[in-house]
Amino acid sequence: MQIFDIFLLEAVLNGILFGGVLALLALGLNLIFGVIDVVWICYAELMMLGMYCVFFLHKVHGLPLVAAFGAAVVLVAFLGVLLHVLVIRPVLNSEPINQLLVTGGVLTFLQAAATLAFGIDFRNLGVSMPSLAVGEISLPWSRISAALTALVAMTALYVFLKKTYLGTAIRAISQDRAIMPLMGVSPSRIYLLTSAIGGALAGLGACLLVLQYDVHPAIGLTFGPLTFMVCVLGGLGNMLGGFIAAFIFAQLIAVGGFYFHLEWGYVMAFGFFIIMMFARPQGILGAK
Amino acid sequence: MSHTKLAAGAALLLAAAAAFAQPKEIKIGVIYDLTGPFAGGGSEANHIGTKAAIDMFNEKGGVEGYRINPVYVDAQSKVDVAINEAERLINQEKVDMLLGVYSSAQCVPMVGKVDAAKKFMWATVCVSSAVFKGKNLQYVFRPQPHSDQYGQASCDYIKEHAQKKFGTSHDKLKVAIIYEDGPYGAGVAAGNEAQCKANGTPIVLKEGYAATAPDLSSLVTKLRRAAPDVILHTGYNPDITLFLRQAKEQNFKFKALIGHGAGHSQIGKLRETFGDDVNYFHSIDPVASQILDPKTLKPGMGDLAKEMVRRYQAVKGPVEVPPHASMGFTNTWIFLADVLPRAIKKHGGISSEALRRAALETDIPAGGTPSGYGVKFFPPGHNMSGQNERSQLVVMQFVNGRTYIAWPTPIRTTDPVLPFPKGHVYAR
Repeated sequence: MQIFDIFLLEAVLNGILFGGVLALLALGLNLIFGVIDVVWICYAELMMLGMYCVFFLHKVHGLPLVAAFGAAVVLVAFLGVLLHVLVIRPVLNSEPINQLLVTGGVLTFLQAAATLAFGIDFRNLGVSMPSLAVGEISLPWSRISAALTALVAMTALYVFLKKTYLGTAIRAISQDRAIMPLMGVSPSRIYLLTSAIGGALAGLGACLLVLQYDVHPAIGLTFGPLTFMVCVLGGLGNMLGGFIAAFIFAQLIAVGGFYFHLEWGYVMAFGFFIIMMFARPQGILGAK
Repeated sequence: MSHTKLAAGAALLLAAAAAFAQPKEIKIGVIYDLTGPFAGGGSEANHIGTKAAIDMFNEKGGVEGYRINPVYVDAQSKVDVAINEAERLINQEKVDMLLGVYSSAQCVPMVGKVDAAKKFMWATVCVSSAVFKGKNLQYVFRPQPHSDQYGQASCDYIKEHAQKKFGTSHDKLKVAIIYEDGPYGAGVAAGNEAQCKANGTPIVLKEGYAATAPDLSSLVTKLRRAAPDVILHTGYNPDITLFLRQAKEQNFKFKALIGHGAGHSQIGKLRETFGDDVNYFHSIDPVASQILDPKTLKPGMGDLAKEMVRRYQAVKGPVEVPPHASMGFTNTWIFLADVLPRAIKKHGGISSEALRRAALETDIPAGGTPSGYGVKFFPPGHNMSGQNERSQLVVMQFVNGRTYIAWPTPIRTTDPVLPFPKGHVYAR
């Protein structure tokens, strides 16, 4: 086998694009954990509902794709708020394991509800995006757009958190949720806002995933565990860490799978995760 | 005698009479995946086919005085759920036997437990050879073909058509074997590898992947590097869709694709997603009964196939009926029409032992079932004890959403289109 060839370059580029997909998914989950200190285990199921929203609005009701995307982002943002009000708020001061279990319950509930409401069929948007030809390599625009969106969303979120009053309030709450009410900041409002942004990011992820994958009630199981691991690897709550971890994870899967048997890519990625949990349990950029 | 005693006596008599008049029944635990990814990959169609067969017999009063009482359960596309449901059906529901199971990943561990419990099981769909190979099971029977046959069929199909269709000898035609790495995919791939090697057809890549993998771009890159002529693919539904989409996006070209059942036989779903891109794809499976020429079958079989189609479309609408409906229907029909009556009449009832003896005596010649194949089980002591030795597969080709038999050549309904015609999205 050649040590370096055009196909290796293709594997690396595809790894970068897949990393973009994972980075986008990890962004919202990290924001929620960073601010509210609760892990939405059901995050990927919210995306699943967003994907169904795009499918029905565009494919069944004929709404333009961009409008369907907008509606999905708004819907999942609203679901994020609903999740916070109905499920998270009552357990906000409970043990972390209880919070984990309750969002795990929501995961099962959403899967079962989607099965009842939409059936078990695999739905496909039927939108085929072209590829960008770079010499002998073809890079799919569906993934390029996901990677670019992840980059833009990450930058926008950074600017929002650093440069706006609300962003500053969110960061302040994430640093000390007990003291901030004394400064006139309402944690419950900030939590609602954060849940809406986290939900909107899940909705954004849904818009990009629905261009690449079939929608079915169990689609969340494909991405949920991977997204959670990326967040933990980067440092739960650390958005930049999650962003970096997504690309490391994706490269191990892509290049490992290219050089060895495909499954070895995942073995290497999960092996790296386990080693890192021993070496740096707080994650790549997480604080001790 | 007091009035109270009289009343009690009368009540007892009435209860005894009621019990005596109660019709006999056979309680069958039917296990398929009604939710999760396997459901859309064919398991729901299996369920509809099996239910159609059971309903048809019950509408005629059952079998030899026994009403069929099916207990339908959902394995949720999960191995642990399937095993737990099988145990619950046996120990709590007290079913007389089990029937069904779509996934080989569920089937392989389940049959060992069921056989150890000396419970009768009629396996209708799962195909892995590992279900039976070397296990000498006593109470498990499967009329369905096994995975080695799938693997052999595609390699023999290529060999037969290499020179005439591809213009090259089969020992110069390069194949790649890709498969989901569960017992089903791995079993078929092992059959592919053995037969293609035996035929002298070069294998340039053999690679498995998890059916739930979120990315197959590395697999496509490796395929592009290996440049095979023919892809032999075994997969379920989401992974097939992902592979085809990424293959198209990465500009991977080849000459033909032969799938091995499951997701590849759900041509209606594939067309929904890919339209004409899946034209001229193949799938290997027991034949969808409705496309067989009824004249080649025993009288009455064609009518059964028509009734199955009617009942399937009553549930799913006017769609192409997938082979999985036939598998559920035919294999359930074989049990109800052949094994069960003999167990009741000749072997004294519906005990596991009676059903086992009746199954071992099954001797249906080719053409005697709605799916065309005959049934005779390898006897105890055989390496594949419990497997139908007369099961048959066909290679189907899909053209504009219609299903045609492409092989075996003597019963084909179309002259297969090989390689992909010029202009096809995957054509090289």
